[in-house]
Amino acid sequence: MKVKYTIQVLFVLFAVGILSSCSKWDVSPRDQISTESLSETKDGIVNVTNGVYALFKDQVEFNGFIDDNNSYLRQYFQMSDFASDDIVCGQVTTDPLYYSFTYTHSPDQANSRFFWYVSYKMINGTNTVIDIIENSGKIERDNMVNQILGENYFLRAFSEFSLLKFYAKLPTAGNPDSDPGIILRTTANEPAKKARATVTESYNQVIADATMAASLMNQSRGKEFASKEAAWALLSRAYLYLEDNNKAIAYADSVINSGRFTLESASSFPSYFPNALASDETIFLIAYTQQDNRGKFGSIASMIYSDGNSGWGEEFASESIRADMDDHLEDIRWKYIDTLHKDDGSIMTKNGIQVFYITKFSFQDGDPNLSSPVMFRLSEMYLNRAEGYAKNGDETKALADVNEIRKNRGLEGSLYNSVPAGETLLDVVLKERRLELAFEGHRTFDLIRNHKNIVRKYWGYHIKGIQSPDIDPDNPPTGYPELVINWNDPIINYFIPADEILANDLCVQNP
Amino acid sequence: MRKILLLVGFVLLMIPVFSQVKGVVFDENGNTLPGVNVVLKGTTNGVVTDLDGKYSINASKGDVLVFQYMGYVSQELTIESLSKNYDIFMEQDVMKMDEVVVMGYSNKTKTEVASAVAVLDSKELLDANSDDVGSMLQGKVAGVQVVSESGAPGSGSQIRIRGVSTIKPGNEEPLYVVDGIIGGSFDPNDVETLTVLKDAGATGVYGARANKGVIIVTTKTGKSGKTQFNFKASVGMKTADHGNLKMMSGSEFYDWSSELYRDPQTHEIDKIKFYKFYPKELASQNYDWVGNAFQPALTQQYNLSAAGRSDKFSYYASGTYFNDKGTFRNTGYEKVNFRLNTKYQFNKWISLKNNVNAYASKGTSYDYMDMYYTYLALPWDDPYNEDGTIKYIDGNTPGKWWSRDKINPYHTIENSDHNYKSFGIDYDLVLDVSITKWLSFSSSNRLSFSTDKSHDFVSPITAGPFHGKGFINERQNNWWGALSSNMFHLNFDFGKHSISGLAGFELNGGSNDYMWVEGKGLPEGFDVPSVASSEIKIGGTSTLEYFNSLISQVNYDYDKRYFLTASFRVDKTSNFPPDNNTAMFPSIAASWMVSNENFFKDNVSFMSMLKVRASYGVTGDPEIGASRYMGLFSLSSQYNNNSAAIPYQLANYNLTWERTNMINFGLDMNFFNRVDFSVDVYNNVTKDLIVLVAQPLSQGFEHRWENAGEVTNKGVELNLNVIAVKTRSVEWNIGVNFSKNSNILSGIENPFFSSVGGVSQIYRNDASIYTFILPKWLGVDEQTGAPLWEKINDDGTREPTSMYKDATPQEVGKALPDFVGGASTSVSWKGLTLFATMAYQYGNDIYNYSRVAMDNDGHEPFINALVPKSDWSRWERPGDVATHPSMQNADLSTETSSRYLEDGSFIKIRNISLSYALPKKWSAGMKMHDVILTLRAENVYTWTNYWGQDPEVTLAKGDWSMPGVSDFKYPNNRQIVFNINLKF
Repeated sequence: MKVKYTIQVLFVLFAVGILSSCSKWDVSPRDQISTESLSETKDGIVNVTNGVYALFKDQVEFNGFIDDNNSYLRQYFQMSDFASDDIVCGQVTTDPLYYSFTYTHSPDQANSRFFWYVSYKMINGTNTVIDIIENSGKIERDNMVNQILGENYFLRAFSEFSLLKFYAKLPTAGNPDSDPGIILRTTANEPAKKARATVTESYNQVIADATMAASLMNQSRGKEFASKEAAWALLSRAYLYLEDNNKAIAYADSVINSGRFTLESASSFPSYFPNALASDETIFLIAYTQQDNRGKFGSIASMIYSDGNSGWGEEFASESIRADMDDHLEDIRWKYIDTLHKDDGSIMTKNGIQVFYITKFSFQDGDPNLSSPVMFRLSEMYLNRAEGYAKNGDETKALADVNEIRKNRGLEGSLYNSVPAGETLLDVVLKERRLELAFEGHRTFDLIRNHKNIVRKYWGYHIKGIQSPDIDPDNPPTGYPELVINWNDPIINYFIPADEILANDLCVQNP
Repeated sequence: MRKILLLVGFVLLMIPVFSQVKGVVFDENGNTLPGVNVVLKGTTNGVVTDLDGKYSINASKGDVLVFQYMGYVSQELTIESLSKNYDIFMEQDVMKMDEVVVMGYSNKTKTEVASAVAVLDSKELLDANSDDVGSMLQGKVAGVQVVSESGAPGSGSQIRIRGVSTIKPGNEEPLYVVDGIIGGSFDPNDVETLTVLKDAGATGVYGARANKGVIIVTTKTGKSGKTQFNFKASVGMKTADHGNLKMMSGSEFYDWSSELYRDPQTHEIDKIKFYKFYPKELASQNYDWVGNAFQPALTQQYNLSAAGRSDKFSYYASGTYFNDKGTFRNTGYEKVNFRLNTKYQFNKWISLKNNVNAYASKGTSYDYMDMYYTYLALPWDDPYNEDGTIKYIDGNTPGKWWSRDKINPYHTIENSDHNYKSFGIDYDLVLDVSITKWLSFSSSNRLSFSTDKSHDFVSPITAGPFHGKGFINERQNNWWGALSSNMFHLNFDFGKHSISGLAGFELNGGSNDYMWVEGKGLPEGFDVPSVASSEIKIGGTSTLEYFNSLISQVNYDYDKRYFLTASFRVDKTSNFPPDNNTAMFPSIAASWMVSNENFFKDNVSFMSMLKVRASYGVTGDPEIGASRYMGLFSLSSQYNNNSAAIPYQLANYNLTWERTNMINFGLDMNFFNRVDFSVDVYNNVTKDLIVLVAQPLSQGFEHRWENAGEVTNKGVELNLNVIAVKTRSVEWNIGVNFSKNSNILSGIENPFFSSVGGVSQIYRNDASIYTFILPKWLGVDEQTGAPLWEKINDDGTREPTSMYKDATPQEVGKALPDFVGGASTSVSWKGLTLFATMAYQYGNDIYNYSRVAMDNDGHEPFINALVPKSDWSRWERPGDVATHPSMQNADLSTETSSRYLEDGSFIKIRNISLSYALPKKWSAGMKMHDVILTLRAENVYTWTNYWGQDPEVTLAKGDWSMPGVSDFKYPNNRQIVFNINLKF
């Protein structure tokens, strides 16, 4: 009996034990925040907005691992400038950046697929915040919240605009009403499969988002965040690409006349890029701190500059751009081209190509791999305006803007009074634009939208199959197909990533 | 006087005639056997041997003593002299019919087992020379596939039981149960038996976590009265096994390089240009990087154990030391394990077990890049200076360094350190209470703790990304776990019926704390986090997991002929959304011991056992990691020192358990007591597969967790054991096992993909899991030397193309094998035993990823290439039929395609060992019970067409890996081991 009684007691105790083992069944991760709780506090939406900026620089996990070569800005600059006539390829490599030089793109290449993916991750972030602010009814719309909302519209516009440059025909280089543009995502909850909008529709979205952004932002958080002027700068650039000259001029005017910015002078320009965050020329940049230093394996600087250890140092400033700058060695912009000399004073060559390193992405805090890349700066506004004036036939105003740049770059002795013989006004403006904005992700698109071919008649490994003994330093190369790329060649665009086409049968591939 | 003398004489005479016969009874291993019946034949006079195996019985000359003990062959002994002792050695009954099989929560005898179960005992596990259980199982159990993931010291193997039933990343290993409690740790030297549970009838009682099979380990306990010592020493020498992967020598690479200079017009090599860039002396410069970086290494293992038993108390104590030097520079592993198992029998009803297993290990690991640079460095570069010191190389070093990567990996290895330490302890407390004859209660409880710390340091003096800065990263992981399993056990017989069962509950919880720090800017000579002065980062988080269950099982048998087992279990886990986190798992198994039927016993004499089994059950799998159902933003980033949240996971509030329905039919037969044969046929269907379904990248997410689809694993397993020869002095056994598994997906609405490193696999109905979908390689264009892939046009016609972008991805192979198996054989003669095992696998494909770099058609002229297969050739001029394209016309030839997809079938001879047990006379002379010497060769030889390091390729899907894709790994090892085993 006693035994049975004991059993019963034990059993009851254990039963109670199960019930009262009130284990917490809802276990949330402690380093992540759920989408639901984001709208509970203002902090939530600010953090997500900051996250969109962070996506420009972060090495996000993709395909199951973090590839040091993958970050948004690295691809942004390389996929455009390595295809231009400003940077020469110094050696063959299996890194997909090589395909930009040779124009042998593949739908499989990791850098392009990553860029597309992160672009849309940014758009997802912005859509989440826009949705919460506009539709959830939980956030009060004060100045700060409007600023955040505006920043998100700006970031969405910027991401869309960048995607359009790489994956769609530029509006002036094709038939924008029928050419496929990009997939437009404007909410965080839409069907996964969606078709590409046309180029015209896509640019309309960019304009709409940037315009909305400009109207909302009145409380700038700093140059590392978007601002009203940054939205205007984006509009100026977008209208320039659309060849709507008057609007390009108007928005450039708004930025220049806002009084918030001044051009760096010739004496301060050499230290501009390493200290861009503190400079008055900067409109908007992405801030990197030491924690974001990607070193040899992932920094933007690594491919184009090395101190022997700091980077790969495989791509250099091309003969073509140096030829444009050779007439004026006093041009202060030479400071960003670092010639590597051998002990005997002659110029070092690697694999037969002379080494001219590029330092626009180096030396923040003295570190060869650290910089905060500038997305919009004042000199581009002058150049946008100049191009608009040039296309409108207004020579005086165009040259005035070009000279404004030259005055601040050590060329006060060589200002333009008129268009030199053998050149057009547009040539003058585009040449200045090339020298000023070199290596900042503009050149390839500036050529294409103006129907100019990409001419690379210099030795380099963009020529497939050559070996260093083929290089004849006394004679330029002839007969190779890669020397001239026509502005309307379909191989210019990158392929829509294979993953997208596989998972989204509504999306058409590029030819 | 005479009468007294007569009396005395009579008495004296009587003594020898009717006297105590004494002796000791031993088993065949020399252990004393208590409890043996010693009976005077023809009478009911009998005694039982005591705890020391001693007996003493009244007998006269000419009497026959009969020795009887369950499980042993009875022996008879005629008393010839009353003045000597009669020691007896008893042999185990070959049939082992009533051998106890440990099923986890309960024990059954082999007769009663109605499920697909395989048992290995400590003798079969003796060939373990590592702390890895996988290597002990390789090739021995049908349906168990063991893959050695890496030859790095301290790395374990991956085990798969009956195919792959799930496709999500996560823990895919079987569930381990140590001494009746889920989880736990153990050293292979302490294993008494190891049971593999394969079907739901057996695993059903483990419910939710038994989807992938269960491995039950029982550790040793004290058996005989006298303390028994066991000492084992094992010393081995191992060398790296590079398989078919050999890097070129200086002259071979020189010839390879000359191909870069073949003139596209004349098709001849332009020697003038070639020699201008590549001096002729290079052909004779040859430093064997791989050969020198991998050196023979010593492994040692020592184990000392003591076990004993008295009336109330039994114990087993054991300590093991394992030291495994790695073949690659600066790698190695050491481990110490200590176990103490004690059992105290308070009285007839209550006993208490206290088991403790503690282990500590440390190791030095390697950096993947150091090994990568070693393989790829050119033979023309010598890592040593003339004075024997290691060269320092970076991008600025004057002088010629041919390799593409301006870095000397030897220098980096000498000036960096990648070490790790672990410590863990498992404490089991088990209370068994006999309440009545048929009812008992047991409470099994375990507390576990483990901690791991790793340390990665690179000195600022190394070349490369940390030059001038150095690098330090330390990570610490602490895990606490507790489990309490409380059951009532029922056991009673009435007449021919026998019922047993259990019911109870189990509470299980674990908590993990993870933390890491990283920094650079280290002063030379210092390697701790405190001295880092720049780029300092921190991270860390903690997670909790709960798992509670209600468990019940009933077993019934009638007359030891008809058996039935049924179990029902309810599990609840914190891994699933709160309103969807409970599931129920039933199972049922039945068997019919045909050979116990009278009609069988009377008519069939050649078959000593025939059993028919069937089982059905449902198991589940909750292991997907916590909170996979939520929509999440990760806060682990920052922007200009402000908090930043990045979209991390797409929500799915419908996520729920995967459940597998398992059906198994089996037949066990034994002929003539010599041939043991089992056949199992199974069909396992896993529903609601949890998969990461790829999303279009334009969603901003690569994938989302969903329940999508089903996978069916069907197969057959055969196990044959033959005792070919058995005489007094010679015994020869052969065992063969074979398993064929076919894996088919179904119920998938829209085919989806997963890819790692550009290699993709498709998940669609009627295809196997891990089916590769890649552009199809067609070879080389005979006229142009360009690579060819297959393009499928819209109308279905196929044509070759040299434009990679036009190649159509197609299904070209799969990573799962068609069949696997193994065989083993042992021959013993007197004290010598020769034992060999082999394993084989057929029908799987491997993507040889290392060929992208090492077989690159000139895309990378300054990294070393692998020595080609003899039937490979490179295109030189129009009309050539070649396997490799012309270096002058090889655009995108190394892009992902079926070119690098190779057949991974293999036959491996795993172990050959020769052991010698010293005759008892000699060992007794040394005051030992047993002395056994063994010489063993491991990983003896592999036959395969796979042109890479090793056809054994990972089966795990994870961050850096994909099933069936092989990249560089730390090579496996060949070993020769010498082993001494002493029992005293």
